[in-house]
Amino acid sequence: METPMTTTVDKIETLRKCLFLVGLKEHVLSELAARAETLRVASGETIITRGEHGSTMYFIISGRARVHDGEVTWAHINKGEVFGEMAVLDSEVRSATVTTESDSLLLSIGRDVFFDALASDPDAFKAVLRAVLQREREIVHEIKNRSTKLLSYQKEMEIGRRIQADFLPGSIPVIDNWEVAAWFEAAREVAGDFYDIFRLKTSPHVAIVIGDVCDKGVGAALFMTLFRSLIRASSLYGYTDPTLVESTLAETGSQNTGGAPADVLLNSILTTNRYIATTHAGSSMFASVFFGLLNPENGELIYVNAGHEAPMIFRKNGETEILDITGGVMGLFPAASFTIKSVSLNEGDLIFTYTDGVNEAKNLDGEQFGDERILETAAPEGNNTETFLKIMLDGVRNFRGEAEQSDDITMLALKYLPSIQSN
Amino acid sequence: MATLNIMVGQEQGSVPVTVLRVEGDIDAATHSTLQEKAFELIDAGSSNLLLDLGGVNYMGSAGFRALHAITNKLSDDDSAGLSKSSHLKLLNPTDAVARVIKTLGFDVYLDIYQDKNEAINSF
Repeated sequence: METPMTTTVDKIETLRKCLFLVGLKEHVLSELAARAETLRVASGETIITRGEHGSTMYFIISGRARVHDGEVTWAHINKGEVFGEMAVLDSEVRSATVTTESDSLLLSIGRDVFFDALASDPDAFKAVLRAVLQREREIVHEIKNRSTKLLSYQKEMEIGRRIQADFLPGSIPVIDNWEVAAWFEAAREVAGDFYDIFRLKTSPHVAIVIGDVCDKGVGAALFMTLFRSLIRASSLYGYTDPTLVESTLAETGSQNTGGAPADVLLNSILTTNRYIATTHAGSSMFASVFFGLLNPENGELIYVNAGHEAPMIFRKNGETEILDITGGVMGLFPAASFTIKSVSLNEGDLIFTYTDGVNEAKNLDGEQFGDERILETAAPEGNNTETFLKIMLDGVRNFRGEAEQSDDITMLALKYLPSIQSN
Repeated sequence: MATLNIMVGQEQGSVPVTVLRVEGDIDAATHSTLQEKAFELIDAGSSNLLLDLGGVNYMGSAGFRALHAITNKLSDDDSAGLSKSSHLKLLNPTDAVARVIKTLGFDVYLDIYQDKNEAINSF
């Protein structure tokens, strides 16, 4: 900062035009101008700093400054406007930081000078009070505007949340000899997680889908609706491209479990992947997806695990199996291949699928819940699937403690009920 | 704020390979640094990139999205038939990053090497 020459007339002119001093008599303005100092300030210099004590107010003769807190800019101050006056009036610390945005010429007036000048005219305080109140009215008006906008955004998000809920199954199909439970808890209004369970039209198979779109918030939610809808539509009403399916079966050495269900599964995965990887290539959005087709009559499950957390099978005899990935995440590489694998569930077995909101739940120390704790917490024996999920959820919540839920939690469990033995 | 340091080197295998040694966490705050650097190199003529991840202890989904964006930019013409990138490869990921790569199955889409010379000669 340096002190340039400015005439008293220029100074009076600047002060007279400032709304903060409207109504002050000429002799008060003259006294203020006579004792004010002129400062030349380069662009990018910080004049006052939030939280610090200060007893000087500044009027901009020329140039421009911004009121901010770090990177967040609250307002811009232009020629003829004042800043720093609040701390002068109430002796509190500075409420914001002010930094010049161009080379500027400022007029600075200290607290003592200001009050001395005002004391020379009984009406001066009224004028300043009026200016302060005027400012307060403007601020109240601004807050009202922002609150209204915020409310309308919140309303939009709530509509989004309700519409998105419609992209999850409204009810879970009743399957003879099977017990099914699901849990879905979004970390924010809208989620990137999804699950689905529905019967195929062409066979007794039941589709079990769980997925997690990368990222969070509105972007993830939009892609969640896309992945879920494409998988469901291509499974239920899909056109099967025999050449696409057969070449992939040959290429990956997939176990062709024979006939329609394997074709449906592979066609659905390939079509969904190809569509998103081609149509939305520029978004680089992907999802990890586990998609299984269960024959509820004999417990045979064929599946593709596209980069998703490995589902766990808790056998009746106490053993655990995990269904590792059979391909990468979906939505990125148009010609990606996915392998079909199969596994048999027996009476009394339980299959548990989940998203990373479970294994990556963090406590305040930043530790993750992890696969080990999932295995320790799992209580498949003697519990129905709903209780199984409840125990898992309690385990995650207790582990998390006071830490915030940072990701969506989705869980799906199916149990093959032991048939009742009759003599 | 977290920063990402990227050191760039040129190596010659059967073809020229640009090696990016990355240090720091690749997350929502830093992935754009990696993507912008890679784009800048591609625009300047690099057509084979090797990402040395030895100094990366964390890579989140934003990092994987950046890898995909780089892959796409490297193979503009044949991206419709893309199942694996032949122009972007990974070197020496730390255990933590290797675990995430495996969980997401990204090793299906990108080749991963432990040895730098082997990686450079693979292009």
